Amino acid sequence: MIDTMGIIIASNINIPPLTDIRSASALPIAGGYRIIDFVLSNMASAGLENIGVATEANYSSLMDHIKSGSPWDLDRKNRGLNILPPNIGKNSVEIIRGDLDILSGIREFIHRSRETYVILSLGSNIYSIDFNKVIESHKEKQADITIVYKDLNGIDQKELSRFTLLEVDEDKNITDIEVCPYYPKSTCASADVFVMERMLLESIVDECSARGSHDFIKDAIAKKMSGLRMYGYEHEGYTDKIDSMKSYYNNNMKFLEKEMQEEMLKSDLPIYTKNRDLPPTKYGSDAEVVNSYIADGCIIEGTVINSVLSGNVVVKKGAVVKNSILMQGDIIHEDALLEYVVLDKEVEITAARKLIGQENYPLPVAKGTVI
Amino acid sequence: MNAKDCVAMILAGGQGSRLGALTKNVAKPAVPFGGKYRIIDFPLSNCVHSGIDTVGVLTQYQPLELNTYIGNGGPWDLARNYGGVYVLPPYQSAKAGEWYKGTANAIYQNLSFLDRFCPKNVLILSGDHIYKMHYGEMLKEHKKSGAAVTIAVMPVPWEEASRFGIMNVDENGIITEFEEKPANPKSNLASMGIYIFDYKILKKYLEDDERNPESSNDFGKNVIPQMLGNGEKMMSYRFEGYWKDVGTVQSLWEANMDLIDAPPKFEIYDDSWSIYSRNTALAPQYVGKNAKITESTVTQGCMIYGEVSHSVVFSNVQIGENSKISDSVIMPDVKIGKNVVINKAVIGSGAIIEDNAILGVNEDEKSKYISGMCTNGIVLIEGGATIPAGEDIPKGSMVEVE
Repeated sequence: MIDTMGIIIASNINIPPLTDIRSASALPIAGGYRIIDFVLSNMASAGLENIGVATEANYSSLMDHIKSGSPWDLDRKNRGLNILPPNIGKNSVEIIRGDLDILSGIREFIHRSRETYVILSLGSNIYSIDFNKVIESHKEKQADITIVYKDLNGIDQKELSRFTLLEVDEDKNITDIEVCPYYPKSTCASADVFVMERMLLESIVDECSARGSHDFIKDAIAKKMSGLRMYGYEHEGYTDKIDSMKSYYNNNMKFLEKEMQEEMLKSDLPIYTKNRDLPPTKYGSDAEVVNSYIADGCIIEGTVINSVLSGNVVVKKGAVVKNSILMQGDIIHEDALLEYVVLDKEVEITAARKLIGQENYPLPVAKGTVI
Repeated sequence: MNAKDCVAMILAGGQGSRLGALTKNVAKPAVPFGGKYRIIDFPLSNCVHSGIDTVGVLTQYQPLELNTYIGNGGPWDLARNYGGVYVLPPYQSAKAGEWYKGTANAIYQNLSFLDRFCPKNVLILSGDHIYKMHYGEMLKEHKKSGAAVTIAVMPVPWEEASRFGIMNVDENGIITEFEEKPANPKSNLASMGIYIFDYKILKKYLEDDERNPESSNDFGKNVIPQMLGNGEKMMSYRFEGYWKDVGTVQSLWEANMDLIDAPPKFEIYDDSWSIYSRNTALAPQYVGKNAKITESTVTQGCMIYGEVSHSVVFSNVQIGENSKISDSVIMPDVKIGKNVVINKAVIGSGAIIEDNAILGVNEDEKSKYISGMCTNGIVLIEGGATIPAGEDIPKGSMVEVE
């Protein structure tokens, strides 16, 4: 869709210590990917050629990951992929208190773009969505704003309260929006994907920031309900957002399920990511690896069970890694034992140490720590 | 424009007929190797790590895949404004047009390419060797000695010396005699097919060689002996380390196995000398609940549900439940069903091995698949071939696409 541009607002969710050094959108997931790869690849697959990634802080890791945009075939002569650091225009506010402030900061980018439509999304969601279908539905319904949602009917109330919930009638008309309500009235969770005309976004951002608003959904979308035709687009497949250590852990583990792998990574909508020239992963003569997702460049001589390993991880003889997430360059020495842990990059666990978290409370370890 | 100190020319032209079905549709340098690479990645990566940023790749058989693979050279950091990597096929000029007649003729036909860069030295490489070598060190020695040509040599076991081009050298490393595959070798220093020439001298000899109708226009057979006869200063450069010619099915299989021995005979886990290759990022490998992988390398996109031991598995390979793979090389996109047994085999890209097939286990000299290409009992399956369910493919077979 050459008439559509994309805007991704990088996540500012705090998941210490993992987000101390990077935006949550740049967090490694499923061994080889970063969270932002999902929305970015979906946009690229839909043929979008002008994509801006708006960032708030901590964006060097994100920039390093995205660079020229070539893995998404977005290294183009004109347009392509743009990283938009905060405060680039004169309209910017000094303190960013919400995503509306970020959008206001990139107003010039929105204004200068030429596409008719815009897909606006938050960079913290995991899904594989054919955005062309969303845009088709948007045009067909002659909607002012289309919001992608997933009906989470059946999950418990506390889980539901993590999401922005939409009330949707039979015609997919959105009648109400509530952001993370304590007592949910609806089970339709927003996937944080909004489609509208670019001019409409520009005028909403302009109007709301002029009135001192900061939050895109609460102040802009929810308050403008009455005057706009708002429709929901139901996504049948998987969707979740990364907003806590628990959701980060669970979403990684989800990739060990065959259905998830097939839906997310082996479908017609490929997920692209930066290629790091790693050699193949090597298994030693005593290696025991079961039900695990493993990136390239690892050297495994020990045991790995129900775990997700990023590139260049070393698991030495006698070491056991169970139900854990290991990021790039971790080294697990002889006879160490890890269960329910999340190791950030370049962590070293020395010989025979034991580190055990719990399923509902995985134990995180900050980048570069030696234990 | 600045003159280049050294330009590399990779001879990637050979038909690779001894690789049998593997080179039916691709040139030898584009044959997959080592789980994530192609053979040509090794000389190309060596060039980049050695500070050589201008490389010509001379090719004439099945160039499509090699062309597509090399593209703009970006994966090897060879997408340069002045220099970079060029694929050089034979072409029709105003005066003449012909296939590359021999290694020397291939360079001769591309003198105009070399002239563009006014190189002081030209490095001639072969596109079918697996090794890591710092050509910069060799270039330094070449300059220091002021030789017309410096030839890389390595000691080989005496009993194998008669398979190689053997250099006899004096105590200073000056080459005194060259014998192509001698019956009674006087030395065990084999030529590795790596030459650094002073460009002006090379150009003169290539022009002379071209005028000689008797010549077969080959470096080893003609140009080197001619230079030696004329008393040019020719130096040897000793290389010690892993080096393997992967021109046959057996040597290709062996070189893959060399990566997974413990400790490996050839180390690719070396940050300071990464081997670059063109590949898109795929999903990580998934190792299933009943899978068992030992002494092997496996790479991205694979889904392993069976057992893999002492094997090299390339990207996007699927291995079904209860299948047992040992001592094998499984090239990209191969699909292996359930209860399959594969032993000591090279399976070409995209082949499909259906359930219950048995490869490389039984002996049957009368089988229609037995091939002279497959020495030492190795089984070779052509890329894209399908082995039907339950089929028994005996040791030493080559199965081609019909």
